[in-house]
Amino acid sequence: MKNFEHFNARSIDEAATLLVRYGGNAAFIAGGTDLLGKMKDRILPAYPEALINIKTIPGLDAIEETDDGLSIGALATLAQIATHPVIREKYTALAQAAGRTASPQLRNMGTIAGNLCQDIRCWYYRATQNRFSCLRKGGGRCYALKGDNRYHSIFGGSVKGGCIAVHPSDTAPALIALDGTVITSKRTVKASDFFKVSVNRTTVLEPDEIVTTIHLPAPAPGTQSAFMKFALRQSIDFPIVNCAAAITCEREAVTRARICLNAVSVVPRRTVAAEQSMVGSNIDENTADAAGAAAVANAEPLEGNAYMVPIARTLVKRTILVCGPSPAEVDPV
Amino acid sequence: METKDFICPHCAKGFKSPEEMKAHMLADHRGGALPSPEGRIRLTINGKAHAPDVKPNWTLYHLVHDHLGLTGAKQFCDRGACGSCTVIMDGKPVLSCMILAIECDGKTVETVEGIAAAGHPLINAYVKHHAMQCGYCTPGFVTTSKALLDDNPRPTANEVKIALSGNLCRCGTYPQHTIAVLEVSQKLTAS
Repeated sequence: MKNFEHFNARSIDEAATLLVRYGGNAAFIAGGTDLLGKMKDRILPAYPEALINIKTIPGLDAIEETDDGLSIGALATLAQIATHPVIREKYTALAQAAGRTASPQLRNMGTIAGNLCQDIRCWYYRATQNRFSCLRKGGGRCYALKGDNRYHSIFGGSVKGGCIAVHPSDTAPALIALDGTVITSKRTVKASDFFKVSVNRTTVLEPDEIVTTIHLPAPAPGTQSAFMKFALRQSIDFPIVNCAAAITCEREAVTRARICLNAVSVVPRRTVAAEQSMVGSNIDENTADAAGAAAVANAEPLEGNAYMVPIARTLVKRTILVCGPSPAEVDPV
Repeated sequence: METKDFICPHCAKGFKSPEEMKAHMLADHRGGALPSPEGRIRLTINGKAHAPDVKPNWTLYHLVHDHLGLTGAKQFCDRGACGSCTVIMDGKPVLSCMILAIECDGKTVETVEGIAAAGHPLINAYVKHHAMQCGYCTPGFVTTSKALLDDNPRPTANEVKIALSGNLCRCGTYPQHTIAVLEVSQKLTAS
């Protein structure tokens, strides 16, 4: 890696001030597992002049149950979340999602906020030495559109209608299904509004804005949540498709459902049609299958990724079934 | 942001006059040691205290392997995707290629050399069950296994597989690792 300046921030203000001082040519580092890979490969036109370590800001890694739910510090590691007894019991989808992210070692390093704010994995964008100046880097075209797009969006593009890189996070759909909120140094944003694509950006965060806390509301009585991931390998792999659902039932009938797919679109995709199709019915093979069909009804696969559509459909179905009364019948993905 | 000529050496906040900066330093950083410009860190590696001067762009792997001569941890992918460079930091297995050395101040690190020097039975079990072919990934596996047994002295076969799922072996020795780790687990918990 080319050298850079390094600062250990002691407060959020200090970190933001440092970033502004470098005129945007600096980056925050927490777990570093995404950022250092980008820097080693020199994938972006600009190389940061300084890294600002935010791991040294005290009090940002706590996981606490509050009166109205659960608050997770931005620096809580994925391993902490995957093994936390309260999260496993009440916010199951998030514990499962964190536990299926990357590998055990990376889960000891990577943070929840880093997982939400991670950059895309499109192989043209990630090609070493900034080989493809694509739309996402402010360039003129999307190379995946006519190139190899087997791991790209089945729900259209962004950035001038072009960039079809998917959002690769495993925890993002879980947070959206659990109706979480992201609290930053400047504001509070619903997890479902947190992701927004523009040049060099995957979230609504401003350059000097830092995620401080993730808040999850206490689940209503009768709520079950689950996360499922389809990937080529069981470990050290990004999802081909993943899905999280949180479903509330009253006397077996669904009263509220939140279902979110990810890795299928440029941002995590809440599947409102699937949710609506579940409300009022019981959870069984037929209703879950219908919800799966509704979730992919608007899919527009590209030349190389039509195979993702049935995977997304099946994953929605299985995730719903896991939230139902007889989850043992579902094959694990 | 307006130009400010006086930069706090602690936090790089800018000030218009030296008086303002002095007031800020007294208020916010009183008694705090100045950050070392060279990146001097203090850490414990295999029970021994070290205080190396590190550059910001050194990874922990660079420090341990290239500068301290502990060549057990191996660099393979250098992108956090193979587990060959695993070391134990504060009790947890982590990838030394994706951690900046300068951020390891105050940490306790254990490498495969420390595990071998302590006479841990994993080493002999790996030899006995030949849990290697070319051997390049082996230090990473041994380190990850040691962290597992410290955390969970009686893992099930499945727990061993999950714990080792971040380590890749090109030679396909995976079944032998579970056998070796479970045998050591029995040995350690029987006594």
